[in-house]
Amino acid sequence: MFNAVNEAEALELLHQSGCTDGLPVVIPTRDRVDRLVLASGLDSDVDLGAMGPGGGAATVEKLAINAVMAGCLPDQMAVVLAAVRAILQPAFDLGEMQSTTHSTAPLMIVNGPVVGHCDIAGGFGALGPGHRANASIGRAVRLCMMNIGGARPGVSDMALLGHPGKFSFCLAEDEMSSPWEPLATAYGYSSDESVVTILGAEAPHSVVFTNDADDKDSPQRLLRALAVAIANTGSNNANLSGGATAIALNPEHAQVLADAGMSRSDVQAELQRMAVNTRGQIRSFNTGFIAAGDDNDLIPAVRRPTDIVLFVAGGAGLYSAVFPSWAAGTHRNSVVHEIVATDATCELPWK
Amino acid sequence: MRDGIEVARRGIAAVALVTEQFWLQGDSVATSAGMPDIPRLRLPHPVAGSGHDAMERVAQGIAARIVAVLSGSAAPDNELTSAV
Repeated sequence: MFNAVNEAEALELLHQSGCTDGLPVVIPTRDRVDRLVLASGLDSDVDLGAMGPGGGAATVEKLAINAVMAGCLPDQMAVVLAAVRAILQPAFDLGEMQSTTHSTAPLMIVNGPVVGHCDIAGGFGALGPGHRANASIGRAVRLCMMNIGGARPGVSDMALLGHPGKFSFCLAEDEMSSPWEPLATAYGYSSDESVVTILGAEAPHSVVFTNDADDKDSPQRLLRALAVAIANTGSNNANLSGGATAIALNPEHAQVLADAGMSRSDVQAELQRMAVNTRGQIRSFNTGFIAAGDDNDLIPAVRRPTDIVLFVAGGAGLYSAVFPSWAAGTHRNSVVHEIVATDATCELPWK
Repeated sequence: MRDGIEVARRGIAAVALVTEQFWLQGDSVATSAGMPDIPRLRLPHPVAGSGHDAMERVAQGIAARIVAVLSGSAAPDNELTSAV
């Protein structure tokens, strides 16, 4: 608890104590925090679990404090809660992930009715500035990771460089522009459920592709371009042979593959098959990770098709993106999901 | 858009062709380039890469309107949009 004579002084205290991400925050006054606790529909002392690496208790009140600082609106609390529950799943290896020297950050992809309700962007510039919900929700999770999880750069968060997605890394799938079923349904959820899907990811690597509808090889060219990006020999996926990766297909590129008769699972399977290097190729860059063996062996960058989180987002045009992952940790920093429990929120008296 | 504006500034009738996905950007560029009322017509998206036949259909479908807007006998889409 800090005491300050005004909000300007409070902001300086928060900066000095290392509680911010370096940008100005909304001061978490008692009233503001209570408002978001109420919006959560849970008691303030409900403990979602210990957050690594510091092991702080992720109580609803602490989430609300960080969500206030991030600028969240009450309706966005349900998404923050779901995202924190997701990254606390043991399969996500949060404590190890926060401590690694790799530049990984939790990429949050939201599906379902909550996308429209909270105005989470999935189109043009969805991972860039100018989208309040995306910025606030992602930032809230990051502030939780810092202030509850205890991640501090160079002390406990040992990312050598990091990336801008460590400020905020949240977007929606553009379900309306997708030729396929929503991403979350591919993982067993129904289309009327709101779900957040999270994986630890690098910054997006742009993949340029020019379609030519008169070229029958066009869909295969797109798959090859994506597969090379997945298997890029600078990635942990290629060197450690496994882990998850994400692909944000822009609607135009997704349509090229759908028009070729490919479902989402077809694309995942093809990319998993195609995203390979030979052992010799990997060894020519790095000898520290790859096991000994025949240099002609094909080494997959991704072990299972479902480890390729394939979603539709961004404006329509030339560019899609591949997000390699850290691919390490006890569970290889698995992809995690959590339902956004919008029905648990209280009726908000100020609405 | 900027090409259309440059042509119009030379006193030559011009119409900018803008695909659906970039319609809002077209408004923004027209305004920032100082000619917010530059006539523009809306095309489907994508045009590039859609194949010879599809591009020919787009061209066939829009050619008469381009001529009509250039000759002043029809309103461009941005005037129709702003009238809504």
